[in-house]
Amino acid sequence: MIDCRRPETVDQLMEILDSGKYRIFAGGTDLMIRKRQWQGAERRFDEDIVFIDQIDELKGITEDKEHYHIKTCTSHNNIEKSLVLPEYIRLPYRLMGNPAIRNVASVGGNVVNAAQVADSLPLLYALDAKILLKSKSGSRILNIDEFIKGKYKTDIRENEFLYEIIIPKYHIRGFRYKKVGSRKASILSKFSVVFLYGKKEDKIDFIKVAIGAVNECPVRNKDAEEKFIENHDVEDFLATMRKDLHGEDDKRSSKLYREEISLRLVAEYLNEVLRGDSYE
Amino acid sequence: MIVEFKLNGEDVKVETGLAMRLLDVIRNDFKLTGTKEGCAEGECGACIVFLDGMIVNSCMVPMNNVIGREVVTIEGFSKTDRYKIIEKAFMEEGAVQCGFCTPGMMMATEGLLRLGIALTEENIKEGLSGNICRCTGYQAIYRAVRKLSQEAVLND
Repeated sequence: MIDCRRPETVDQLMEILDSGKYRIFAGGTDLMIRKRQWQGAERRFDEDIVFIDQIDELKGITEDKEHYHIKTCTSHNNIEKSLVLPEYIRLPYRLMGNPAIRNVASVGGNVVNAAQVADSLPLLYALDAKILLKSKSGSRILNIDEFIKGKYKTDIRENEFLYEIIIPKYHIRGFRYKKVGSRKASILSKFSVVFLYGKKEDKIDFIKVAIGAVNECPVRNKDAEEKFIENHDVEDFLATMRKDLHGEDDKRSSKLYREEISLRLVAEYLNEVLRGDSYE
Repeated sequence: MIVEFKLNGEDVKVETGLAMRLLDVIRNDFKLTGTKEGCAEGECGACIVFLDGMIVNSCMVPMNNVIGREVVTIEGFSKTDRYKIIEKAFMEEGAVQCGFCTPGMMMATEGLLRLGIALTEENIKEGLSGNICRCTGYQAIYRAVRKLSQEAVLND
């Protein structure tokens, strides 16, 4: 018989996590399926569970001068409807799952599960997001690419939980986002591309490019981005990105399709910016 | 443990596990079988109910996340005038064949109407994107929803 706990506050949650090994459970859109069982039976959890969806402190979106803060139990729907967050953050969340899933799926769950196909991750990689982890022993802030260690692997410790995601504010002039799947809704991505850029006095100031669902973790190359700002060489940028892509054939798509088409999209977006096409 | 919540307007209590699915509890403990189990993974929408007024797939909702909240199933919704308007549109357009997806489809339709957005082709498709129908080919359902002009429903 597994132990199911239901803390009402963050302090109680930290006490519970400190007292033993628990699986943290928020919206349920991932775990209820992964632990599926026959009709009428309790889900097949093999470890004790702590539910967190009822903790009000863990919901909400705020901003300060330099960052957006998104608490872990904030639903995808709350992001979609947020008046605080810019469109380039809202859009990828709006294209995930379907309306009924987005009403309950939590922002933190998509990150902590660290699925290869988690559609929020390329966005968070592109925006240099940080993860605030809390435990009874204190807090830690990690860069998203330090936190995600591989497919379903993160750097979270047993007594820690993800408290919030911190996204730095940039002067984003324009962005592109493309999620490619077999259909539009309720689909796992074959791959996705996040592309953002900023300008200073009509010159490209920065680009931020992340490709998701090809490798185990999203792919981003900051050195190549900086080099592109200097040389404006699309082919050079693509060649570097190509070296970073290590896709595999699987039931969602083939390695060739993923690598080739994601890079073609990146090329299209880079060329648009160089031409000065407006999609701001 | 004893879980308390509001079901179709009534305060209810049920002895169940926190990790049990809301779907199983409403079908097995409360014998409300209008809510269907299709895919059991949040894709087909046959199990949609309202949780605090928002559509959710009850196959993915653990009972923990229902405590102290309000659940409305198709049985509860069917007692409202809004339901009757949607029902009429579905009947007139032949939007029902085998009927298995219909409760979820009608709940999703109501979920879409509650957003208060224009019932454009795109918004209807997006609003019903979490519901699968294997009979109708969707066109009759889209026609039925398009028929529900926002004014007619809101003036109800």
